[in-house]
Amino acid sequence: MARCFYPLEKFSQTPSHFSLLPFRFTRFQNQELLVNEAGEFLFTPSGTVQALATGNLNTLSDLYKDLKAKQFLFDNSTSPLLDILATKIRAKNDHLTRGTKLHIFVVTLRCEHSCHYCQVSRQTAAKGEFDMSRVTADRSISLMMDSPSPHITMELQGGEPLLAFEMIQYLIPRAKEQAKQRGKVLEIVVTTNLACATDEMYQYFKEEGVKISTSLDGPAEIHNKNRPRPGNDSYERAIEGIERARAIVGRENVAALMTTTATSLDHPIEIIDEYVNRNFHSIFLRPISPYGFAVKSKNRIGYEMERFLAFYKSGLEHILEINRSGYRLSEVYSQILLQKILTPQGTGYVDLQSPAGAAWNVLVYNYDGDVFASDESRMLAEMHDWTFRLGNVHKDTRRSLFTSEAAIQMFEASCNQSLAGCSDCAFQSFCGADPIYHYATQGDMYGHRPTSGFCERNMEVIKHLFSYIRDDDPGIMAIFWSWINGRPAFALEPSCA
Amino acid sequence: MQDSLSTVRIDHRLVSVEALLKTCYWFSRDFLCDVQEDGAGFSIVHLTPKSGVDEPMPHTRERFLADAMDFSLREVIANKTENVRELLLAKAFSESGILEEDPTGIFGDQIEESKPDGMFKILSNS
Repeated sequence: MARCFYPLEKFSQTPSHFSLLPFRFTRFQNQELLVNEAGEFLFTPSGTVQALATGNLNTLSDLYKDLKAKQFLFDNSTSPLLDILATKIRAKNDHLTRGTKLHIFVVTLRCEHSCHYCQVSRQTAAKGEFDMSRVTADRSISLMMDSPSPHITMELQGGEPLLAFEMIQYLIPRAKEQAKQRGKVLEIVVTTNLACATDEMYQYFKEEGVKISTSLDGPAEIHNKNRPRPGNDSYERAIEGIERARAIVGRENVAALMTTTATSLDHPIEIIDEYVNRNFHSIFLRPISPYGFAVKSKNRIGYEMERFLAFYKSGLEHILEINRSGYRLSEVYSQILLQKILTPQGTGYVDLQSPAGAAWNVLVYNYDGDVFASDESRMLAEMHDWTFRLGNVHKDTRRSLFTSEAAIQMFEASCNQSLAGCSDCAFQSFCGADPIYHYATQGDMYGHRPTSGFCERNMEVIKHLFSYIRDDDPGIMAIFWSWINGRPAFALEPSCA
Repeated sequence: MQDSLSTVRIDHRLVSVEALLKTCYWFSRDFLCDVQEDGAGFSIVHLTPKSGVDEPMPHTRERFLADAMDFSLREVIANKTENVRELLLAKAFSESGILEEDPTGIFGDQIEESKPDGMFKILSNS
């Protein structure tokens, strides 16, 4: 006589009733993609949401178990786990608890480049009145340290900040001293084109532990076209500077960013290969910001978001191919989104936060003491639009900056949970709100999602990443996880090749 | 001109006014949406394509109805989960230190507070 196990129902009672938990959904390649309040997702057969809405779901099915495990519903056996869901929601929104971390100091507006897309007014290198004064520097440092965040990143920017190197030397020791007094961890980054950097400067940065962020738009032809300067040698100077900086400050302390102009759009492969040839291990395929001179000179360098998305997709495919060949290269925007999609954590990336990262997570102290909600706000001000000017370091406190009319207006349009078009969006947990972008491009902080470049870009990029996730190719997922974890993909190790 | 115009009739017993307007919102990129009530629990939507939009009208109509039904479904889910969502969010953020005002109640115990590294905890909000 054959013996068999008791059926599963013997051990787990069939739930008589289940309740729904909050989630949003979208249709995705003949399936439904469900995303809950904590950003956990599940691909389900078409018709699942209808079944959930009507309560007509087989509680013995694998689908029911999956929905319960991912907390799209709960029954008697899982109701005690609601606390865990609340904790997950809090973890995803952890950036709200820390206060402003990134503080950008515009030490000078002077620059010897005349980039078409430059996001601040170009000034000749001789105009000293566009430098930050010591009094403004002192007050800005004080305001920066008033942030409740225990971790502070001080970014020294311009113009070209190295043209005001004396101010950098003034700022750094004072910021360090105050950070020490207030028990804060301080990281300092200088954003420079490196064209006028010297070995003495690199030595100083090494001694002070300052990181360097520079610009590399691709091979010489593209870089020099994007970044004109006397002598047309921006690329050559950048490359020489990168190598010197690596030699003196340390390879791990030098990063590069690229800006995608209309010229760049036809050359994703060449641009990415340039980063590989220069031994970088990350590249940020980011569109041009719709501010400052980028708006003024739109006909010369501007482009439609659709063209950028084509550039991004072909670029990402090439980057994956490079990873498959054994060279680790991450695409930063994808990496940020993948971390949001695949892990319980959020990210500190200010452009994809809700409430928007402007002011909450970044403040800009202009050379003249004006305080802006973001770098983009400052760019608008350079075009005589002070909508996002929160105040001035010489007369405002942190409290008055955050309760200013400009801040309050912006905060009201800062939560994608309550924005038209976003409130029902399945990708809400991964995306953000950007009142400054929408004000700059549509004349309205709230924005019109169906025609928003911000929405089009994020919606399309997130869908593109989800298409990889759904396909679940082990090689590609190993690469994605290696970007998130900062470790080589196991599939790329020689023993597994 | 009539060829480029699609008409959709919506039964508000199935799709609420809110769900219909949300559908129109997303179609407003490519279409002019003219919504009229017929007084008998129905709305008539006239969709006129904007310049440069070249989508077959049967396809537009099909897409509009599918989207309207999806927004209707979202409405059902949102209504069914509204209370538990508020509870979850309140719980998620109640101990995050970002409350506008200090909650009432006991915020710790004297023994824990007397320890140099003692942990504080909200014990009661009543």
